[in-house]
Amino acid sequence: MISEKSKQTIDKWIAKYPKGQQQSAVMEALKLSQIDNGGYLDKKCIEAVADYLDMSVISVAEVATFYENYNHKPVAKYTVRFCHNISCMLNGADNLIDYLEAKINAEKLGELVQVKKVECLGACVGAPMCQINDDYFENLNEQKINEIISGLK
Amino acid sequence: MNEVCFKTIDQDNPHTLATYKKNGGYQIWREILAGKWTPEKIIDELKTSGLRGRGGAGFPTGLKWSFMPRNQAGQKFVVCNSDEGEPGTCKDRDILRFNPHAVIEGMAIGGFVMGATVGYNYIRGEFKEPFYRFEAALAQAYELGLLGKNIHGSGMSFDLYSHLGAGAYICGEETALLESIEGKKGQPRFKPPFPANVGLFGKPTTINNTESFASVPSILSHGGQWFADLGVKNSGGVKLFSVTGHVQKPANFEVPMGIPFKDLLKMAGGVRSGRTLKAVIPGGSSTPVLTAEVAMNMTMDYDSIEHAGSMLGAGSVIVMDDSTCMVKALTRLAHFYYDESCGQCTPCREGTGWLYRILKRIIDGNGKAADIDLLLSVQDKIIGNTICALGDAAAMPVESFLRHFRDEFDHYIKHGKSIIEVKNSGENIK
Amino acid sequence: MLEIEIDGAKVSADPGEMLIAVTDRAGIRVPRFCYHKHLSIAANCRMCLVDIEGSPKPKPACSTPIAEGMKIWTHNDKTKISQKAVMEFLLINHPLDCPICDQGGECELQDVAMDYGADISRFTEGKRIVEDKDIGALIQTDMTRCIHCTRCVRFGDEIAGVMEMGATGRGENLKIEPFLAYGIDSELSGNMIDICPVGALTSKPFRYELRSWQMQSVAGVSRHDLVGSNLLSQTYKGKVKRIVARENSDINETWIADRERFSYQGLSHENRLLMPQIKIEGKWQEVTWNVALDFALKGLNNAVLNNKQTDRLGALATNTATLEEFYLLQKILRGVGTQNIDYRLNIKDLDATINLPSNIKLTDLETLDYGLIIGANLRLEQPLINHRLRKAVLSGAMVDVVNVAEFDFNYQPNNHNIIAPNQIALLLAGVLKVVLESTQAEVLPDLQNLNPNATAKQLAARLLRADNAVIVLGEHLLNIPQVAIIAALITQIAQHTDSKTLNTSLSANSKAADLAGFTPGRDGLDANTMLTAQLKAYILLDIYPQYDFYNSPKAIEAFNNADTFIIALNSFKDEVVLEYADILLPIANFYESPGSHVNIEGLVQSFPAAVSAPGEAKPAWKVFKVLADLLQLPGFDYTANQQITSEATMHQNPKLSKVDVSKVDVSIDLTMKKGIDIIWQKSPYAIDVLLRHSPALQMTKIGQINTASMNAATAKKLKLTQTDDYLGVPVVLSETVADDCVFINANRQTWDRGQ
Repeated sequence: MISEKSKQTIDKWIAKYPKGQQQSAVMEALKLSQIDNGGYLDKKCIEAVADYLDMSVISVAEVATFYENYNHKPVAKYTVRFCHNISCMLNGADNLIDYLEAKINAEKLGELVQVKKVECLGACVGAPMCQINDDYFENLNEQKINEIISGLK
Repeated sequence: MNEVCFKTIDQDNPHTLATYKKNGGYQIWREILAGKWTPEKIIDELKTSGLRGRGGAGFPTGLKWSFMPRNQAGQKFVVCNSDEGEPGTCKDRDILRFNPHAVIEGMAIGGFVMGATVGYNYIRGEFKEPFYRFEAALAQAYELGLLGKNIHGSGMSFDLYSHLGAGAYICGEETALLESIEGKKGQPRFKPPFPANVGLFGKPTTINNTESFASVPSILSHGGQWFADLGVKNSGGVKLFSVTGHVQKPANFEVPMGIPFKDLLKMAGGVRSGRTLKAVIPGGSSTPVLTAEVAMNMTMDYDSIEHAGSMLGAGSVIVMDDSTCMVKALTRLAHFYYDESCGQCTPCREGTGWLYRILKRIIDGNGKAADIDLLLSVQDKIIGNTICALGDAAAMPVESFLRHFRDEFDHYIKHGKSIIEVKNSGENIK
Repeated sequence: MLEIEIDGAKVSADPGEMLIAVTDRAGIRVPRFCYHKHLSIAANCRMCLVDIEGSPKPKPACSTPIAEGMKIWTHNDKTKISQKAVMEFLLINHPLDCPICDQGGECELQDVAMDYGADISRFTEGKRIVEDKDIGALIQTDMTRCIHCTRCVRFGDEIAGVMEMGATGRGENLKIEPFLAYGIDSELSGNMIDICPVGALTSKPFRYELRSWQMQSVAGVSRHDLVGSNLLSQTYKGKVKRIVARENSDINETWIADRERFSYQGLSHENRLLMPQIKIEGKWQEVTWNVALDFALKGLNNAVLNNKQTDRLGALATNTATLEEFYLLQKILRGVGTQNIDYRLNIKDLDATINLPSNIKLTDLETLDYGLIIGANLRLEQPLINHRLRKAVLSGAMVDVVNVAEFDFNYQPNNHNIIAPNQIALLLAGVLKVVLESTQAEVLPDLQNLNPNATAKQLAARLLRADNAVIVLGEHLLNIPQVAIIAALITQIAQHTDSKTLNTSLSANSKAADLAGFTPGRDGLDANTMLTAQLKAYILLDIYPQYDFYNSPKAIEAFNNADTFIIALNSFKDEVVLEYADILLPIANFYESPGSHVNIEGLVQSFPAAVSAPGEAKPAWKVFKVLADLLQLPGFDYTANQQITSEATMHQNPKLSKVDVSKVDVSIDLTMKKGIDIIWQKSPYAIDVLLRHSPALQMTKIGQINTASMNAATAKKLKLTQTDDYLGVPVVLSETVADDCVFINANRQTWDRGQ
């Protein structure tokens, strides 16, 4: 599914590329369709994007399954993408992830927040760090995590 | 310090057009529009400057720009690689956040030199804030009439767009990046043909790193020689170094090439208190690890680091102190390449998983004595046999970690646990 | 030409050639999995890495363009180390299930592993397991065996023109699969089986049947369409077990259509006719061949020979018969003194039918710059002709279509001109007028008052501008009243624009029937006039009238006439045939008889029998030979099929049609009467009796096609809705069908089409 509003945005992206290269907008189209569908892509989304961009369905599915940022199952309102790569690991990311997961369990926040360990997010000078939906949070510690999580509704 | 890409970083509102202009921004572009530059002159200045590709490969930028068949008829493209994602690397994010106009001006200049009227900046999908900063800067540049068709009546056109990724490290490989812009999976292309001949949408294309483009306006306004003189032989100019890991004050520093590593470490506040330096990965996770002793005696330039047994890469300095378990550190790196392999070619698709699984087995306490030789053999069979450099990048850390820290691996296999972690817990008890 | 050195020997090669093409030509073995000469280069398997002097890294032979003076070592230590490394990686996650794998014995991975693999695996981690999907009736998947060479993915994208398979996910989770539960059954999909280097994609009907080395391979030629695709029939104990493509770059390259690959299943259908039978007092009796042929002879004598009424004898044949069968049967008929001979059963008006030549080679279709397709859905009718045209389009040719409905193309035609059948002649007359005016030729008087429309002007301009153009006339317009004038117009347009023509209006082995003279000539009755002439006797070769005739009820009625003696040679039992025949002779079908196919270029391709026909069934040519002997006809002293082949190809065939198209007077009334035309076409997997009995094909999307499509306006005129049937076929309303047209694509028997 793609909303009319998303279609307008997709059209703006299509306009960035040479004529006939509307496929270049597939990554944005999938992102928008994912938002329209409540955070994840299902069969209808893939088919709608293929139809809108005149691509084969399987080519869209290839893109949708290649890149990390597409979900294929329903997700919580907030996804904490916690970096656990080298610079964050050296700065205690593993313990913080354990701490965060335990907190979510203890406070039964599973439907609101989910945690995903991810590879480098390119903010190593702010290690340990995470991304919650679109935003980066850096130089984390337990206290900061408490503040951030309590701010999520 | 902070003379080129980070020129505006310590000023108020560093990312705005006003700040950029105050610092001489868009002067070169205006001169080009006024017909005061020729592509040949720009290429000469770049060659003189000694600027080398800041994305990690270190290919001379002037030479690369000279490869473009600029006079060939038909569309050509300029592409900026802002798909930063190599562990330890986080400089381009700050350039986009704090000095986006330098990237825009650098790309416009590139468009002029290469005869390309369209450019794309590929920004990694997670970089939302940098993306919006860059988009805002683009809008300002368009508003000022610095981009678009027939700019200021010069007869020259340059349209610049951003393209957002969606989470794939491999798209930092230039041909995977082109595939991605074309709306496909980010799978690297085999070469030849090279992008300069068959690039984006099949047209001649030049791809440079964010920092490379952002360096160009300053180089042209001060002259190639000025830039070259800032650095050392074979490593001209200044470079951004991301110093991360076990340091007191991790940060990005724009400093002259050739700066001693120990000075750079000092700038980052040195290793954490009470700890000693154990190892350094000097150029991002793909580059071979070095021991403290070797690192403390090297300078931060291409030749010195190569002489030390590693590579300058993207200038991503990962510092590890004596509390670091090298077996676990390597396992984490191996996991990264395993996770990020595009899966296209056999040695990388199969080999990265194999390397990771052996290491995982070791840290789970199920290592076997033969595993060390197996690791060395498997990494050796990946190197040089893959379509792109990700295979080599996955293999090289394995060899260097084992070369310098083999004792730790032997101990882990023999005892099923990390000697370093045993020590660490002992210290904690004390 | 450049000179390079391979393993110390000088070899010359063309600039720009990839190394692997050069080594292949020189007969030097370089192992590979992803490379396929008809697919784009992927360079992903890395198996063909070779040592090139001066290059620190080994280079893949498939994607390394050669350069003057290059020195390559394909078997030195450096090459072997790299290739063995790749082989080890390929094998770590490959299952050790060769003993139960259908690919065993013909597996490229197995073969290469013999040379480059190690005896014992160093990989002790768990192997990857990939879940399988049911992707349809044709292809069996065992994706755990997949080595991700992407040949099947590229095949879909580049050759089939429909991307069915893709590579989803990434890293070691890269999966070759269709989207969700989408099936794989486009008209060429079975080729994925041939090109899969391992046992990931195998033939579903063949699953677990046999090992490849147990079978014999016999070269064959398909008769389902006008191409004559080359294939291998693989047999075991007298049964065809599998069909695979046989390479012939001039005909079918390395591809065959699914029709070719899977129709063999029908050979072992329970409906095969196995014993000669005669009907005595309305009861069927199984008899020996001698008894049956005696009975046939007596019947013919009584009906037409003894009383010198040979002009009341007729012979009709299926268009899939072999050249030799056509030839012998017409020779018998002419031998006894009649020319009542025909194979054109599904044409309404044989007096005014198409006699358009085909004068372009299949390979030349690829180098066209313009194609005009009229009245055809080539993709399903002639898949490999369509494939060649598609190649032309991919390299820049333009194709326009004049059709009665919009079909699913696997390339982008420039214009889909959807025109009512009764307006097509008018359109083409307009094209001809523009062409004549532009070439300063004399404009025929009847075209003087014609005002060509914009489409006509556009088509004419493109034909005139093109250097290599072809006009294709397909089978859809065979039965509209203006068909002869359409053929005449095409002929003249082609002449004046220097274009080639391609006539795909008659398929299967029709060209062989023409070559053999299996037509009435000027003095005989044609297939339609025979039916109304109350003939006394017929010899019918593998005919199933409810499917084969334009007017089935009329044919069945004629055959059921109590006074008519009918010798029916059939390969399958059929209720309708049992009803009217007096004698049933079981005959061979595909692969069971030697014979020849004549393709659209006129190329005669002969093939041996791969197996014997089942039961007492015999090749029809042998039956005709014996029958001729019994009739004491001279000139039938054949001992081998090839003798007939050479005679048939030397033979001067009589005039095919009563209408000489090049002289058709285009003054035929151009103000066509309005009326609804029914375009009736059998769906692609129902065109002959063997296909109709092939279960796997019938289960595919194409096999299920059964629709009577029309637009809302036409439906209204016919008082039909979406829930109705029309002539027994479900109605589908679609605005992509032209006005005044019902397009029927039926996979079932046809009924009354007399209008």
